[in-house]
Amino acid sequence: MIKNYFILAFRKLKHQKIFSFINIIGLTVGTTCCLMIFLFIAHELSYDNFHKNKENIYRVMRVGGHLNGGGSEEIAYLSPAYSTALLNDYPDAIQQAVRVMPDNDLITYKNVGFNEKKIYLVDDNFFEFFSFPLVKGNPATVLKDPLSIVLTESTAKKYFGNEDPIGKVVDWNKKLKLKVTGIAKDVPSNSHLYFDMVAPLSYYKNEPWYSQFPNNMLFTYVQLNPHTDPKKLISRFPQFMDKYLGKYYRENGFSMGLTIDPLKDIYFQNLVFDNVKHGSKSVVFTFTSIAVLILIIACINFMNLATARATDRSKEVGLRKVLGALRKQLIIQFIGEAFLFAMVSSILALGLLQLLMPAYNNLLGYNLSSYWTNPLVYIFLAGIVLIIGLLAGSYPALLLSSFSPIESLKGKLKVGKNGSLFRKTLVVFQFSISVLLIISITIIVKQMNYVQGADLGFNKEHALVVKLDNNTIGEKKLLFKTQLQNDPDVQNVSLMSGEPGGFHDVHSFETEAMPNEKIMLSTEFTDFEFAKTLGLKIIAGRDLSSQYSTDTLHGVLINRTTAAKLGYTPQQAVGKWIKNTMRDSLRRNIVGVVEDFHFSSLKDPIQPFVIAPNDDRRVALIRIKPGNLQSTINRIKNIYTSLAPAYPFEYDFLDEQFNQQYKSEVRQQTVLSIFSAIAIFIASLGLFGLSSYTAIKRTKEVGVRKVLGSSVENIVLLLSKDLLKPVLLGALIAMPVGYYFMNKWLQGFAYRIVFHWWMFAMAIAIAVIIALLTVGVQAVKAAMANPVKSLRTE
Amino acid sequence: MIKITELEKVYRTEEVETIALNKLTMEVKDGEFVAVMGPSGCGKSTLLNILGLLDDPDNGSFMFNNIEVAHFNERKRADLRKHNIGFVFQSFNLIDELTVFENVELPLIYTGVKAAERKKRVEEVLDKVQIMHRRNHYPQQLSGGQQQRVAVARAVVNHPKLILADEPTGNLDSHNGNEVMELLTELNEQGTTIVMVTHSEHDARYSHRIIRMLDGQTVTENVLV
Repeated sequence: MIKNYFILAFRKLKHQKIFSFINIIGLTVGTTCCLMIFLFIAHELSYDNFHKNKENIYRVMRVGGHLNGGGSEEIAYLSPAYSTALLNDYPDAIQQAVRVMPDNDLITYKNVGFNEKKIYLVDDNFFEFFSFPLVKGNPATVLKDPLSIVLTESTAKKYFGNEDPIGKVVDWNKKLKLKVTGIAKDVPSNSHLYFDMVAPLSYYKNEPWYSQFPNNMLFTYVQLNPHTDPKKLISRFPQFMDKYLGKYYRENGFSMGLTIDPLKDIYFQNLVFDNVKHGSKSVVFTFTSIAVLILIIACINFMNLATARATDRSKEVGLRKVLGALRKQLIIQFIGEAFLFAMVSSILALGLLQLLMPAYNNLLGYNLSSYWTNPLVYIFLAGIVLIIGLLAGSYPALLLSSFSPIESLKGKLKVGKNGSLFRKTLVVFQFSISVLLIISITIIVKQMNYVQGADLGFNKEHALVVKLDNNTIGEKKLLFKTQLQNDPDVQNVSLMSGEPGGFHDVHSFETEAMPNEKIMLSTEFTDFEFAKTLGLKIIAGRDLSSQYSTDTLHGVLINRTTAAKLGYTPQQAVGKWIKNTMRDSLRRNIVGVVEDFHFSSLKDPIQPFVIAPNDDRRVALIRIKPGNLQSTINRIKNIYTSLAPAYPFEYDFLDEQFNQQYKSEVRQQTVLSIFSAIAIFIASLGLFGLSSYTAIKRTKEVGVRKVLGSSVENIVLLLSKDLLKPVLLGALIAMPVGYYFMNKWLQGFAYRIVFHWWMFAMAIAIAVIIALLTVGVQAVKAAMANPVKSLRTE
Repeated sequence: MIKITELEKVYRTEEVETIALNKLTMEVKDGEFVAVMGPSGCGKSTLLNILGLLDDPDNGSFMFNNIEVAHFNERKRADLRKHNIGFVFQSFNLIDELTVFENVELPLIYTGVKAAERKKRVEEVLDKVQIMHRRNHYPQQLSGGQQQRVAVARAVVNHPKLILADEPTGNLDSHNGNEVMELLTELNEQGTTIVMVTHSEHDARYSHRIIRMLDGQTVTENVLV
């Protein structure tokens, strides 16, 4: 019996080429998309799953009030002293702790040096605490010697080629000699921590910052006893913070809490500046939804075409019933056919996946290489086949098997209004999804263009950002600045703690306006050239200047929002004092107010901002005169290299750097565009099949109409109208849904575009044009046919 | 074998009510060959559908092998049908995607016959209708007469007690038509009961008895043998 079904299904597949082609293409593309998305999501959800102690590992976080008010913000950076204190105070709850300090060092071996940016300085139990396997070396002892270092396999290869790395000595910042004691496997792509080298933190144990609060600079992970309730432990932390930091907080007029977050949650935390890998739940959600939608669209194609062809198969159904087939047997047969299509498609999908994998890896930015051997992939695929078989097969099966044998044998069968209504409903659904996706993309593209092209309130053109991220250049930063200023093509140079879009410390201030209160303000520590270099507009008072000898210790600039927060107009603010309680011992007078500018992304509203001269310089911002860009950069490189010869010169353009903040949105935009195009393609494929079918079915009608004098245009219109109506209806349904979702998405931006009617109109127009083209081709073909021929076919 | 009493069947649409069978009473004995004749719309197809358990009557009694089957449900009808009744249609109704062999095999599949036994029985019956040499062809590759012979083979492969033929020669030329009629006669001689609806007096003469119908009732019966 089953064999008979399969033979028949295969021969049908061969006979009805267009039908089979559309279904197989649709289902294959749909299944491939689902597989790709599955692989991505499986990877996202597998983060940090490989750690043996993952259930009991937590990261210790400081909690502060959020700047924008409401809610609280967690900060991953802690001082080294927390770990010691926690282990000391909670021996019952905390089994072990490990500190991880991301660092950036110059490593040299035999005169070949690299500025290594992925170095972790850690406690010596790092490789026991986490499950990063060692290829060589003993996890328990590999970091015991303060002058040891562990390299990953790839890094070892980079330095030593095929030589045995164990026992080799590398040069650390031209200061220390570290001996390679172990080789770690390369860090898997699904780890939030990622490193090329690991060295012991213990070398620094006599430094003052090592044992004193606050000095927040590293991550602290703790492993709790299996029976410890993390909530109970957290409830004891306020007391802990008061014990160690109470005095400091009272002096500075603010305070922070302490909490622990489970290891498995770290990857999906929405933290920007903690220098570990983060994903986004909303991206996972978007991907999943798209996968489901694409699969539904492909299944709808199958259902639509199968039911449209129902009349063709009615004879077979009738006959089988006459020969004694039960309805149940027919249902099994038709569902079986759907399964066959699903299986063929899933096999093709595996092949297609293989072809697309390199491009997909490229898009994702990491390698999903092990998918071929991942049993989950096959289980998932089997699940998809099952879903397609049941979803796509059940309706046609129920419909076809319900035919009365007498009528279907005589060809009197009318797959009544119900059938065609059902098909139209499905087309409505398909196209509402397509239009929804088009609307989403239109708005995302519009918003991303807006934020990336918006006037940020500072001049972002021709500006280079050079990080002062090593001690050599750090020590010579003023010389670096002077030499740059001497270059005729360099317009301005300013050294600062954070460029626009970068990191800005939030400090506590005392103010003349609110003498009894301490307020938190974003800060910039810089020189006198900051406002000039960025092209900020002074709206009251004057810029900081070396002509005023008091400016270094007593002068400060604020932005318009700060003035407003303090209750002043910009003019009133000039001359008033504020005091940074964490950096300055003296009050500073406000010498000027700058117009607001976006020092952080357009997702956040502009915050109060205080610009004060200070020695804390982490970045050089260099404004170049337009013109000889490349030769100027080359000269800057020469200056840098002459000052810090061991370090490679690296720079970013300020505008590009600033737009890096929208990286995940841009990626979402790319992915959404690709998959939406696929969804629309599959939907059109179905529409194409449906319209070619309608055209065939109505051949006789068209013939009669033409004999009676109907024009080709009339017939094209007649044939197109029927299928265009559901497309239009689908588009109308998509509008409010699109409005709702995109409005929600836009809420993530403090500065956003407004909806325009044309965004919706355009989406609908695109869908209608695509549908018109698909349907039109068939309609024109039918209308152009010779009526004598078409009448003869009956 | 068949005894129907006061059988009624009415078709209703929104506007018209058509009485297809009007208190029809008739009997067919085991081994008989009966031809049913009458003008279009007299109810002969309806009668054949009810006899074939494809349709159920509104009123009256239908005894099949001494069992009242008038109100059997679908499952029971299908079961009775596949074991006892073979059909031959005017338009052959072969499945285009199946070969001759597979078409004939189909009823055996539904009655659950094992594969080896199926092969034997299909070959036997293909031999009987002299179409064995075409067993691996598809229906479109055959002439009309050959197609109808395949259809007859399919109707008898299950050794049914009753064959219902609905204008079996309607789509055939006279030569092929005669061949099919002779095949039916031969089957009848071997003991199969046959009820045949036909417009052709020529074909009707192959039968034992002609029942003439008008407006859902039998009007005359001519016994030929």
